[in-house]
Amino acid sequence: MIVVDDVHKRYLTDHGQGPWVLQGVSFTIPPGLSVGVVGRNGAGKSTLLRLIGGTDMPNRGRIERHCRVSWPMGFGGGLQGSLTGRQNAKFVCRIHGHENELNERVAQIAAFAEIGDYFDEPVKTYSSGMRSRLQFALSLAFDFDVYISDEVTSTGDAAFKKKAADAFKSLTGRSSLIMVSHGEGTLKEFCSAGIWLHEGRAQWFDAIDDALRAYKETIPK
Amino acid sequence: MRARKLRRRATKAQNNKMSSVSEGHGPDIPVQHGLRRGDAAARSPLAVTLSVWRALMLREALTRLFSKRAAWAWLMAEPLFHISYMLAIFTGLRARTMGGIDIVIWLISGMCAFFIFRRTANQLEHAIDANMALFAYRQVKPVDTVIVRGVLEGILMLVVSLIIFGAAGLWGHDILPDAPLMVAAGVLGLWLIGLGWGLITSVLTSLISEMSMLLGFVMMPLFLLSGVFMPVSSIPQPYRDWVVLNPIVHGLEAVRLGFTPYYHAIPEFDLGYLFLWALGMNFMGLVLQRRFAERLVQQ
Repeated sequence: MIVVDDVHKRYLTDHGQGPWVLQGVSFTIPPGLSVGVVGRNGAGKSTLLRLIGGTDMPNRGRIERHCRVSWPMGFGGGLQGSLTGRQNAKFVCRIHGHENELNERVAQIAAFAEIGDYFDEPVKTYSSGMRSRLQFALSLAFDFDVYISDEVTSTGDAAFKKKAADAFKSLTGRSSLIMVSHGEGTLKEFCSAGIWLHEGRAQWFDAIDDALRAYKETIPK
Repeated sequence: MRARKLRRRATKAQNNKMSSVSEGHGPDIPVQHGLRRGDAAARSPLAVTLSVWRALMLREALTRLFSKRAAWAWLMAEPLFHISYMLAIFTGLRARTMGGIDIVIWLISGMCAFFIFRRTANQLEHAIDANMALFAYRQVKPVDTVIVRGVLEGILMLVVSLIIFGAAGLWGHDILPDAPLMVAAGVLGLWLIGLGWGLITSVLTSLISEMSMLLGFVMMPLFLLSGVFMPVSSIPQPYRDWVVLNPIVHGLEAVRLGFTPYYHAIPEFDLGYLFLWALGMNFMGLVLQRRFAERLVQQ
């Protein structure tokens, strides 16, 4: 279960405090429920995922994670550009305390990422699709109750998208997802509930279709 | 009120470190996508921190030693270059001894000791920026990257110093210190000053972008005023009273005094003063790291 209670967030810019991105966001995600987050660009979707993932802290309010939550995979980073894919994979295994089964896990990550010889090249030479392949393989190598995906599949090719979809499906029943995506089909396929972020506030919908509908009604025709 | 807030933050940080492994093992369903399941049981915060330090140490060592062509060889280049040209100048001046000891030993010990401070200070300044991508994992805190980089830099500079002294020994200079503990104390004090400097400046440069330029200005006068290639004892009063306020001077004197008891150290020499500064700077640095821990990981 993840509890988000009255969360406020704004960033510090070069000229002092920026505007509020999130302003009193509250919801509770029950265990095992996959949630899609929708909203226009700049509505605070990625910010919300970073807060839930513990990468950043809210200015006000609190977030409780009563389960194992992944780091936000996607544009949020998590890959050191000067290191190779393999070195990044080893780093992540080590900080998660899997020193003794390092080689097996790294081999599995390499097999799942399917980026060939690039696995031993620095990450900064990767294309965006290759980066998301690696990030995706990394987070699936660990046992989380909730996986956070920030458009992780959007830059991949058809083969990777299919692979990711299969992997997400195989998680059903054991782990859940919190995902941001602008692909309506993706959201409908994997999420049952929805959160619509609008003007710094979040609205919870038990059905993702309703969230998408509410979101689309605000788009000028 | 303030103390309570700090404590609350501290427990929050702990929870963050733990939450990834805390509760809620799902039912053990076999996997279809080929990656293994079954994670370790909940780890203590200390275990998490130690595994982060280990991983960061290997990550830092890799980039420091192998990121560029023969990067490990270049580590030697800077101190060697400074030692050689200063030695050439002193040879031109027909100086054979300085402060009563062999000029080569005087120069090498001063240069290596100063570089332990400067390398650590310079590298740590950018420890947080360089690891920004890794803060996506909530186990990794900014202060971890600074401490780990500091330890690595200290070890590397020790190895570099040993090689330089070894070379001087092959040249026929007496490189065995008479009071090794004194040398060690001086080196440790200088490294701690570098660590404290790094803890403070890594926060400042992340928060204030102009800061790294200012710090660049400060380094050069520090190099000149620490007695690396100009004996502090030759500075007349009342100016010397000001120069000996610089704790690095005392660190260099300790190292040189440790090599030869005949060395004419400055009368104001005080090892306790060096460690008082080291303690103060590290305390200050840790306070800043704690205070701005959340701000530093913001993007």
